[in-house]
Amino acid sequence: MSPPPEHVHWLFATGFLFLGLCLVAESVVGRDVWRRRRWRAYLWPGLVLALGILIMPLSVFYTASTLHMLAHWSWAQVAMLMGAAQLGLVHGRLRNRLWELTVPVALVVTGAGLLVHEQRDWLYSRAAFLHHLTGWVLILGALFPLAGVMRPSWRVPAFGYAATMVLLAVLLFADRDVAPIFGHLSPLAGTPHR
Amino acid sequence: MKRALVVVAGALALPAPAWAHATLTSAVPDVQGRVDALPRAAVLSFNERLAAAATRIEVRSAAGRPVSGTTRVRGGVASTPLRGLRRGGYTVRWRALGADGHVTSGVFTFGYRAAAPQPTEAYGAVGPGLSDDLARWGYFAAFALLLGGLGFRLLVVRGEAAAAYERRFYRVVGLGAVAALQLGLLVFLLRADDALQLPFARFLYGDVSPFAEETRFGKAFVVMSLGYTVVAALVFVAWLLERTAFLWAAFLLGLALLSGLSLSGHSAAASGSSAVSELVDWIHVSAACLWLGGVVQLALCVWPASPELRRVAFLRFSQLAMVLVAVLVAAGLYLSVLRLPSIDALWSEDYGRVLLVKLALVGAALSWGGFHHTFIRPRLLAGDTTSRGRTLLAEGATGMAVLLAAAVLVNSAPPSEPSTTTPAAGARSPR
Repeated sequence: MSPPPEHVHWLFATGFLFLGLCLVAESVVGRDVWRRRRWRAYLWPGLVLALGILIMPLSVFYTASTLHMLAHWSWAQVAMLMGAAQLGLVHGRLRNRLWELTVPVALVVTGAGLLVHEQRDWLYSRAAFLHHLTGWVLILGALFPLAGVMRPSWRVPAFGYAATMVLLAVLLFADRDVAPIFGHLSPLAGTPHR
Repeated sequence: MKRALVVVAGALALPAPAWAHATLTSAVPDVQGRVDALPRAAVLSFNERLAAAATRIEVRSAAGRPVSGTTRVRGGVASTPLRGLRRGGYTVRWRALGADGHVTSGVFTFGYRAAAPQPTEAYGAVGPGLSDDLARWGYFAAFALLLGGLGFRLLVVRGEAAAAYERRFYRVVGLGAVAALQLGLLVFLLRADDALQLPFARFLYGDVSPFAEETRFGKAFVVMSLGYTVVAALVFVAWLLERTAFLWAAFLLGLALLSGLSLSGHSAAASGSSAVSELVDWIHVSAACLWLGGVVQLALCVWPASPELRRVAFLRFSQLAMVLVAVLVAAGLYLSVLRLPSIDALWSEDYGRVLLVKLALVGAALSWGGFHHTFIRPRLLAGDTTSRGRTLLAEGATGMAVLLAAAVLVNSAPPSEPSTTTPAAGARSPR
């Protein structure tokens, strides 16, 4: 009954690609120009919140292992927290800029979750490689929004954060194993399942 | 550097798919299935190749009698011959060593010429224990904070409220929403762990899908997790946009979802259960949440943050609380009569003794309510709003103790629980 995992990954990859492109646009034109239309200020925080809510079904429907379930659960929670905090800041309901820290926290938790839930070595399979790579991209990418909190006027962190999200989308698109141009390195990983 | 790039390119380019660690894809006899023809073997198929070294299938009868032989592995299929099966429920415990060296584990049940026991009643399952009780207590308290808080805001405070009260209200209700989600997951995993009986490291690779997909409890967990995510989102939107319409939606949806507790508990599965008992249980739980959550709102939000609201909120809530308590007690009495086979079960059975403790605590909480009605209410009517909120805190604390007793009660088996299926021996609660 559940959709194939690659469809789910590609769905979320599309969401993160859109998010990344929004951030790229915002970092190119600057926050003030981006927010000239009010709805655009809510666009990417709202998208993050929606993505977090949409990850929740994955955690309760794909329950083949506890670890898998916990990893998806934690990703959903931090995405919702991050989106909600950003919406609160945009709307003026939150005024303390420390709420901006939810972005690097969410990236670190998500990256750590990816690394913990992938128990195989980097080169065991394409999926394992991409899980490791994605985990580290997110952990290191968290430095950009962290720098952005400390120096809001600096444009580099905004570009870095946007690039991290675009890269995350690309990695998610490549994450599953069924596309014929992709595969894995180890013969131990078994025969094709589809 | 060049070599590393080649490896990276190779990792992305070489064909041949793989899933994650070994996952059970199908089983004969089927997971939670019933077979009427004598099965000669248990055959478990996995999504990837297995290593024979540590792959094991063990099948036991309800009494714990082993009925399986040596495990054989061929590719991604593990099998074991079955012998000496008689009519009844059977437990299959499996451990699969994936070719990558990771061990996954699982348990499921099937019935031979009988209905399969619940996975939580598998042979070797234990509990619920103290950790289950504490987690469930927190789960109930979370619902009280969330739904009782929403009910109080919408039915008692109504309309516009002071900013100081609103801040505290959203903190308490937000805490309830977050806790309802996190503790729901904890309750589910503890329940699965009771049946899987694995060390923590191996539990992380335990297959929890039979519990999520094949039990009422698991299905309720899935629906409630998703539903309360929406409730939390609605509360957030109400806070963000300062629109109480979203609170109404969250309140009504939350109350409806609370029926998940009733549809997966004793009222759905125990002796004498029916649609009426499920409905009464839902009314009982809802009234308890509204009452306790309301007391918490009075004690933690209205009294310290909004003195101007004390009089009107207290007087309105005392009217509502009388109705809630009457409903609560009437529904509780009906459910007690339904679940206890005789009056002496109150002191001769564990379930009855816990129920007595709960009744005593309810009595104590009602005494606090009576005290407030008799002494605080007249003072408020006379315009004196200077009374301190300590007694409200005491009533709230007593109510939380009632929830602890309720959690223990829910995790205990009622004395007359019949065997509609064939529960496996060794699966009984230690209580």
